[in-house]
Amino acid sequence: MDSLIPFTTSGSLVDCVDRKMLVILRDGRKLHGVLRSYDQFANLVLEATVERIYHGNAFAENPHGLFLIRGENVVLLGEIDLDQEDDVPLRKVDWQELEPIHRQDTELKRQREEVKAQILYDQKGYSKEGGEGDGY
Amino acid sequence: MLPLSLLNAAQNKPMLVELKNGETFNGHLVNCDNFMNITLREVYQTNPEGDRFWKLKECYIRGSTIKYLRIPDALLDSVKEEQNRAREVNRGGRGSHTGPGARGGAYSVAQNIIDILFDLSLIPPGRGAPLRGRGGRGAPTRGGRGRGGRGI
Repeated sequence: MDSLIPFTTSGSLVDCVDRKMLVILRDGRKLHGVLRSYDQFANLVLEATVERIYHGNAFAENPHGLFLIRGENVVLLGEIDLDQEDDVPLRKVDWQELEPIHRQDTELKRQREEVKAQILYDQKGYSKEGGEGDGY
Repeated sequence: MLPLSLLNAAQNKPMLVELKNGETFNGHLVNCDNFMNITLREVYQTNPEGDRFWKLKECYIRGSTIKYLRIPDALLDSVKEEQNRAREVNRGGRGSHTGPGARGGAYSVAQNIIDILFDLSLIPPGRGAPLRGRGGRGAPTRGGRGRGGRGI
């Protein structure tokens, strides 16, 4: 049955409509929300969206409501298993508490990637790529 | 409801637009197109760090630079309602004209009439029945028609 549906955006995403999904964007943001609609570009409509940040075994949520995401920026779209969602051994903390730490983390990661890219460029003959907006 | 139809329905509604570079624009949607190009009015712009602000009367944003848009929660419900109403009106109107069991709407009804007239040789071939394909002179053939059969 699956093989009858061609591998297209629409073919892959029909089953995800009205499900709770995790979306990861190119800038590294992780959004949880209910997928209400999409199109051939993988532009997405997410309802009741929350942004999640993590640090160690702590996480924090920031509610954002209705989202329309331009498809280009989507890295990953995955269904969330509602049965297992609550069993995740993570500690929920206040957004205000975690946000500065998270910002520090992403900045460190960005610097590390920059150094890595420079080394690869200087010593291994790699080209410089990505850069803008690739924080995932 | 496709994402871009939702955007269309969001005209005159407040929204937040974040660009790929992290800048955000808070304002009311004036207009948008199928490339996701948009114009906003009464805009508050912030830089990517979120520590500087600008106020703009009106601005245009090229669709390709957008990361995401945040729109009012209530919009999804109101659009759904609107759609249901439109569907209801549509169904009512069509039903009274063609009676129960008729399907496919005005186009196929017209096409059926053309088919019948063609079969009765009231329309010369090649003029009235474009769906027959080219060179279809003489007796009409039953096979190879793409759509618009009479259901017999």
